[in-house]
Amino acid sequence: MKKTLTLLLAMLLVLTLVACQPASKQVTPTPAPSNQSGTGTGGSQQTSGLPVLSPDNPVTISVWTMTNSSAPASDNKLTKLLKERLGVTINYEIIPPENADQKIGVLLAGGEFADLMGTTDLNIRLIRGGALIPLDDYLTEDKANLLYEHVRPYWNRLATDAGDGEKHIYVLPNYNRYYGEIVGGTHYGASGFWIQKHVLEELGYPSLENMTLERYFQMIEEYIKKYPTIDGMPTIGFELLCAPGREWVLTNPPQYIAGHPNNGGVIVDENNVATIFADKEIAKNYYKFLNLMNAKGLIDRESFTQTNDQYLAKLATGRVLGMYDQRWAFGQAHDSLVAEGKYERTWVSTMPVYEGCTPYYADREVMNINQGYGISVSCKNPDVVVSFLNTMMSEEWQKIFTWGIEGEDYFVDENGRFYRTPEQREQQNDLVWRSKNRLEALYDNMPKRQGTYSDGNADSPGNQPEEFFDSLSDYDKNFLTSYGKKTWREFLNQPPDNPVYYPCWQIALPDGSEAQVASQQLTDLAVQYLPKIIMADPADFENMWAQYMNEIKKVNVKAYEDAINEGIQQRIREWGGGR
Amino acid sequence: MATNPLVQQNRKKSVWSTIVAQRELIIMSIPLLLYKILFSYVPVIGWTMAFQNYKPARKSFFNQEWVGFDNFVKLFTGINGERFLRDLRNTIGQSFLTLIIGYLGSISLALLLNEVKNVKFKKIVQNITYMPHFLSWIIVAGLVSTMLAIPTSGGIINDVLIRLGLIKEPIMFLSEPKYFWWIVAFSNLWKEMGWNTIIYLAAMTAIDPTLYEAAVIDGANRYQKMWHITLPGIKSTIVVLLIMNVGHILQAGFEIQYFLGNGLVVERAEIIDIFVLRYGIQMGNYSLATAAGIFKTVVSVILISIANFIAGRLGEEKLI
Amino acid sequence: MSVRSRKRIDVENIIFTTLNYLYLIFLCVVMLYPMLNTLAVSFNDPLDTVRGGIYIWPRKFTLYNYYVVFNMDTIYNAFYISVTKTIVIVITNLFFTSMLAYTISRKEYIFARFITVVYVLTMYFDAGLIPNYLLIKSLGMINTFRVYWIPHIVSAFNLIVMRTYIKTIPESLIESAKIDGAREFRIYAQIILPLITPCLATIALFVAVGSWNSWFDTFLYNSGRQDLSTLQYELQKLLASTMTAGTRGAQAGVTEAGRANVGGSNVTTPQSLRAAITIFTAVPILLVYPFLQRYFIHGLAIGSVKE
Repeated sequence: MKKTLTLLLAMLLVLTLVACQPASKQVTPTPAPSNQSGTGTGGSQQTSGLPVLSPDNPVTISVWTMTNSSAPASDNKLTKLLKERLGVTINYEIIPPENADQKIGVLLAGGEFADLMGTTDLNIRLIRGGALIPLDDYLTEDKANLLYEHVRPYWNRLATDAGDGEKHIYVLPNYNRYYGEIVGGTHYGASGFWIQKHVLEELGYPSLENMTLERYFQMIEEYIKKYPTIDGMPTIGFELLCAPGREWVLTNPPQYIAGHPNNGGVIVDENNVATIFADKEIAKNYYKFLNLMNAKGLIDRESFTQTNDQYLAKLATGRVLGMYDQRWAFGQAHDSLVAEGKYERTWVSTMPVYEGCTPYYADREVMNINQGYGISVSCKNPDVVVSFLNTMMSEEWQKIFTWGIEGEDYFVDENGRFYRTPEQREQQNDLVWRSKNRLEALYDNMPKRQGTYSDGNADSPGNQPEEFFDSLSDYDKNFLTSYGKKTWREFLNQPPDNPVYYPCWQIALPDGSEAQVASQQLTDLAVQYLPKIIMADPADFENMWAQYMNEIKKVNVKAYEDAINEGIQQRIREWGGGR
Repeated sequence: MATNPLVQQNRKKSVWSTIVAQRELIIMSIPLLLYKILFSYVPVIGWTMAFQNYKPARKSFFNQEWVGFDNFVKLFTGINGERFLRDLRNTIGQSFLTLIIGYLGSISLALLLNEVKNVKFKKIVQNITYMPHFLSWIIVAGLVSTMLAIPTSGGIINDVLIRLGLIKEPIMFLSEPKYFWWIVAFSNLWKEMGWNTIIYLAAMTAIDPTLYEAAVIDGANRYQKMWHITLPGIKSTIVVLLIMNVGHILQAGFEIQYFLGNGLVVERAEIIDIFVLRYGIQMGNYSLATAAGIFKTVVSVILISIANFIAGRLGEEKLI
Repeated sequence: MSVRSRKRIDVENIIFTTLNYLYLIFLCVVMLYPMLNTLAVSFNDPLDTVRGGIYIWPRKFTLYNYYVVFNMDTIYNAFYISVTKTIVIVITNLFFTSMLAYTISRKEYIFARFITVVYVLTMYFDAGLIPNYLLIKSLGMINTFRVYWIPHIVSAFNLIVMRTYIKTIPESLIESAKIDGAREFRIYAQIILPLITPCLATIALFVAVGSWNSWFDTFLYNSGRQDLSTLQYELQKLLASTMTAGTRGAQAGVTEAGRANVGGSNVTTPQSLRAAITIFTAVPILLVYPFLQRYFIHGLAIGSVKE
């Protein structure tokens, strides 16, 4: 009897727990009455075609976004601002990029989406999956005027075919649409053969012009002879990496060394024809060189087995003299060294090329087509959402997103220039502060004004020249002066205008297509053979290279090249004229 | 028995009357049966994806382009096929090794723990050996990777081996394909050994203590007791788990291969699940992923049926 | 027994026990080290950890990693949801699984084999992400609390384990109860349940740990409702926020160059945060477990009770 009682009690407990679920709150965007009257200073801009956002008509917008940023804290000051001024509340659904493809798959199958869908490179799946609505009707002078201005010069590039043969704009691009002067010449974020500053210092700041692979490695070799250990640990000459997702560290360099910009896995010649370069001489020569360097012991033996974390850890110890990588990818290691005050162990970029080639490492920023927000077919009142996005496009709101609140996050000097105090700069590093004071999760995929604002200030603190100088350490100031340069950007080439079709890595390969499979197979082969080739005895090089070439022959490279070439031709046709 | 008409009539009636007689058991179980069918079997309609060129945009499963066995053909032939078959071999190899080493490790640990008389010590050891189970694979992979590195990068194993004079140059464990299966097996062992003893220890508590008493009177020593009482006592658990694990042979884990696998060892490291991830899910090719899944299921079912049958023949406890 | 052989047995015993203890201690060290290492990393300054060389003591002590974790105000509600979800799952699991296990352990039950087969097979196939999602959707369970426990009431593995355990209970016990006129449910509730407490405790632990650590179901079905988010999922997202988003679209890097201009640099690293998160999620389990341990010993006593 007692046992049955206990059982009954247990079941009762279960039932109460089950019953005590948080009540399902149905949240749907409340339609804002489309009144024509402007509502004081708090409301959104008056445009005749779109509803006005104001605190008197509270609205909730659901945002699904693929981003690494975390959701804002509940007491976030910008969230409050959006509510007070525009009556807008945002419901976030944040998806970490790693598993996003699975989520997108089920969403497409289920057919229901949030109001705003923001992704990076998977937008094409959403578009072809019929998840987004075309925005053409809104992108006019009298409706979403600011958004229209944002996309107008690039209409042809942005319009995509969702599978019905027609081209519409579905997604608002999130990066690299420039207004005003293109600033941002201070920071260099992309590719290079990086070399430790101390090496250059020791060698008396040699000229970095006309850099070749031979000279690059020679400098490293000389330094190692002098300093076989750094801080008690063995010095590492050159670091490589081919961890998942970072294979391009291994496969990208040949195109740069041959004087071509980054087109992904292909090189495009003067006739605008693309071919892969993995099986060409330029690749062979590069890896042969690495093979010789490895025989000299200049390359880290663990390059090919380490994870990205371990790679960064090694870099952060300051004993790695050189690597090929893109600046943003090892930012963590750089920050770590800086935090220790070891400026001389950080790196500067060089551009080795083959004889007779001109370096083309730096390119002009490329607009991210098909990355950004789109409005879904499940959105119950797109008018409101468009109005919101349009308002967010204004200089006023853009400044709030990038610089912050005047007086709190930055100050304005007597010339109207924005600047920050060291404390203000410091707080940007704190994750917790950011969750309370910035809306990164929302802003990540939002269309941005890059370049300069109408008042001459740069789009964000990172690009404001004065900010840049103020934040330089003494060592770096000295370093730059020794080379007669003012910014890190100046170590790279002046980028010529991008060709119309550039960059090819942006050409989306259809899911499940032969081309996509071939591309993956090529990467897989590279990762399988190149490490062996580089680490092999130089006498075996030719043999192993031949083996590698044989395997490549089995891959349907033609399908891949055809797809890219088709993409190139299409871009030339449709985008010809203007960037 | 003679076919007595009376008996026959009884037999015919008995099915229905059995149902009536066992109605309580039925009430206690049938709803749960239906429940399982709903949640596990009904979605299997989705297997049609394997025979189609599935595109989520076209919504329903019946609105798709049918391609018959195309996806299966793609799995097994061509450069894809070579890869898949290689991965199949790796999967089976890793599973098998993990299984054997895992069993030896956890059963022996359970037996040894059972011999510990000091309750406090036993409790402490148990608690500690369970801990690795709670670490996520990504951390374990990181730790394993560090342990196997060269001494200057924190590689303890190489460090110890060199100091003991057993090797001169550090062994690059993570660059040689031949070590990979062992790395997977021992990582699994380390992580799950303690945890797996839980079931065995729980089963040991069901062994009648009087058997031990009788054995002591008969003059049995420790090892004889283990061999003749404890082991047989948990035999049914071991066999049942074995049959189940045999069915899982195509399931060799995922995280450790994903994090520790690299180009140099891919020959031995890549398993089916990673293949499905790379060429299936990440490319939006659900059809291929489903086809691989169906293949795995078919193989698993065949294997457990065989294992179950053999167990029955040997007089052991069957799974089914 | 002669004096001499008794002494020999004693010596053997001592050797055995010593070796046993040494082996077990060795195991403990091997298992404990990574946990201590994770603990040390979680208390170590993130940028310092990146340089490697942390073993079991933090070099540059800091509470920053935990500060980040605890300052995510979403984790408090998530914690509550995780706890509730785990309790519900454990209770429903124990009850329904044991009941079903009892029925299929009865040799005479006509559906025993059928049910067993139906369940066991489910361990070897999976309908796939999309079909499962569509089923859940059609049952109206997207963005609800129900989706956490309803699909997981009985799992095949637990069922088999319980069945095996129940089968070790002497038939005579049950028969005598039947002779006394007891009904099946009563036998189940009053005789079986008390006798299988070690098994229940074990399954409870398995199920609790599984539920506590799961985040994928939250990700797939409930990512749209912040108030239903679970602890692990929130922590996963937190972890993602410290990654330098290096994996996708990586050939370009242009996205990230743009990003670097807009934001600041992160001071937490994935490795350190992961360590803090691991400790944070493992601790509740490690606290609960010893609680259940006493049932194992209790079961030992019960198991010796005869009819």
